[in-house]
Amino acid sequence: MRMLQSMWSKWKAYVYISLLIILITALFSQFGNEFDRVNVALVFLCPVLLSAVNWGIRPSFYSAVVGLLAFDIFFVPPYLNITVADLRYLISFGVYLSVAALTASLAARLKQQLHIAKQREINTTALYELSRQMSAIVDIHSLLNNVSKHVSQSMGLEIAIYLPDDRNHLVLTHRSDVHSDWGQSESEKVVAKLAFEYGDTVGYGTRTLRDTPGHYMPLRTEGRIYGVLALNLKGNQSKIVSEQWRMLEALGGLAASAIARAKLAEEAKIAHLTAESERMRTAILDSVSHELRTPLAAIIGSATGLIEGERLFSSEDRMELLITIRDGALRMNRLVVNLLSMVQLESGMLRLRNHWCDVEDLIGVTLSQVKDFQQHRKMHVVIPDTPPMVLGDEVLLEQMLVNIVSNAIKYSPDYSEITIKVSTDRHCLLFSVSDQGLGLADEEYEKIFDKFYRAAATKQVTGTGLGLAICKGIAELHKGSISGKRNEPQGTVITVTLPVTRQDDMREIPQASRTGDDNDE
Amino acid sequence: MNENGARILIIDDEPQIRKLLKVTLKAHQYAVQEAATGEDGVLQASLVRPELIVLDLGLPDISGMEVLARIRDWSNVPIIVLTAKDREEDKIVALDSGADDYMTKPFSMGELVARIRVALRHVATSAIEPILQFGNLTIDLAQRIVELNGERVKLTPTEYDLLKILSSNSGKVVTQRQLLQQVWGSNHSESESHYLRIYIGHLRKKLEEDSTQPKLIVTEPGIGYRFRSRD
Repeated sequence: MRMLQSMWSKWKAYVYISLLIILITALFSQFGNEFDRVNVALVFLCPVLLSAVNWGIRPSFYSAVVGLLAFDIFFVPPYLNITVADLRYLISFGVYLSVAALTASLAARLKQQLHIAKQREINTTALYELSRQMSAIVDIHSLLNNVSKHVSQSMGLEIAIYLPDDRNHLVLTHRSDVHSDWGQSESEKVVAKLAFEYGDTVGYGTRTLRDTPGHYMPLRTEGRIYGVLALNLKGNQSKIVSEQWRMLEALGGLAASAIARAKLAEEAKIAHLTAESERMRTAILDSVSHELRTPLAAIIGSATGLIEGERLFSSEDRMELLITIRDGALRMNRLVVNLLSMVQLESGMLRLRNHWCDVEDLIGVTLSQVKDFQQHRKMHVVIPDTPPMVLGDEVLLEQMLVNIVSNAIKYSPDYSEITIKVSTDRHCLLFSVSDQGLGLADEEYEKIFDKFYRAAATKQVTGTGLGLAICKGIAELHKGSISGKRNEPQGTVITVTLPVTRQDDMREIPQASRTGDDNDE
Repeated sequence: MNENGARILIIDDEPQIRKLLKVTLKAHQYAVQEAATGEDGVLQASLVRPELIVLDLGLPDISGMEVLARIRDWSNVPIIVLTAKDREEDKIVALDSGADDYMTKPFSMGELVARIRVALRHVATSAIEPILQFGNLTIDLAQRIVELNGERVKLTPTEYDLLKILSSNSGKVVTQRQLLQQVWGSNHSESESHYLRIYIGHLRKKLEEDSTQPKLIVTEPGIGYRFRSRD
């Protein structure tokens, strides 16, 4: 069936031409003698022109010859015979044939040019389309996907793309046909590697290794080769025309620059990350080494003093030195606890042990924790009559509140007032801690929750810049948030917002859980 | 009773901590025995028959939890466990499986000595006295009467039960589970644990001067409560 079809498409031009000439002959042999023979001869030029425009040069030559024969046999005496009585007709035949040949070749060339122009337009559109798509893609895999789809579609062939890995070894990264194993064998890899190292196209259609069934083109921009695009030509060598080779080159160039762009973006990102982690490391080292060395110096100094000059010190002096040692160690302990918490929060190791927590209780524990260093600051607690229960990890929430309140103490003068306020609205519970300290510039309130950030105004107070970052981590673990702003007239307010569910019924004790008649005795 | 002179066994793999405990406890007139491994600890516990054990939960050979279980198999000797800060879970498990109290490293020696005293005292006064006196708070267990500053305080049965458990363990930590189990029975559910908080809140409102800064019923975050006698 397919054979018939292809034969038909090949020969249909000749069939049409033959039919047309038979028609013309039949028509004019009927009324032919009323026309001049020259006019009939001109009519026979029509099928030549027609086939030249429609089917190209061969069918038009065919129609010229057949037309000439028909004219000779049916319209030139002696009729129904190929011989010509009047030899002058031979000149007419010659003119006829040359006119036919000339028009046929002109028309055919025109047609071919049209065809080429159309093909070029298709190629240009395809290239434009591809470049437009690629400039939007940053991810290297979808990029390769796109390239291979385009190439395999426009060439009608199977392709494979090789890219170098971290150690600059070429590996097969992408195939247009995932079911085929072309491109995986050692011989194909060796040729691809050759193209990669040689920096020039090898394989079929080139001067190097022209016997291989593949065409291996390096994907290069100026000065750098990003990979190799291999084309499987097996059994299709003759189908590729020069236009397609040019198309392939253009596509390869596009792919190379797109890969270059993706690679550069990746490198820029890595460079940025490296710089960021470098900055972080410096900050950690500065902060931690300072925070560790200062108390260590105090501890070592006091302890050696006590050991070496035992008799020199009065018992008050000795006590003083011992207290210095204790305080230094406690300070180091706080740092270690903070560092560990930060690591746990960042690594996602922390599992929340959620329980219902009594807000009043949380604040009570917090106050007892800061009692030792609040000195004469007044703690003012504002709490609703029936404070809600909050679902969370008691230990972490307490650590968060202690951090916030400790900060308030640290950055506010002695004898000032610190207010811890709890309030609720429909969906959340708000803790706010306000102090009357120095306060910060407005733009700094966003940064104070960043790791190792120390506000400019507080440089003279020791600290690591970890406390509030931990608070932020804990608040976010509880699906809440933390923020800071200026307190009026002076100081800072830190507010933690935690989501509350079912807060209405939490204060009620259902009948069922009461032990017996649980009224006041 | 005078708890001085009591034999205390220290099970800890850190020589520095052992040395520190030994020096301090000896200064407080206790007789100190040491074990550096869990196995040795279990062995010494049966040989020395200590009156109290200080047990580090992070031992190199067998886990502190196993040491605890093996000693509890045959002995009711008070055991105080030592844990690191980041092992909150361990404390609860240890307390619920028979440890009497816990200390989080690093700790102050004064506090450890106080805990040791409390634990030894509870052994000595195993029979509950009918009337407990804590400063201006009096609890008459025989008549179920609670008086604050000489005035009677009205408590619900649940509140009274909680107060009774906490006060008869005064100075010692009582875990949430122990309270729930003793007051609500063994079939309580975890989700009911917030009622416990509500009752504790009520108790504080009735007994504390300032319920946001409790001095009598102190919360041990994540663990439970501790009744602090005011003396």
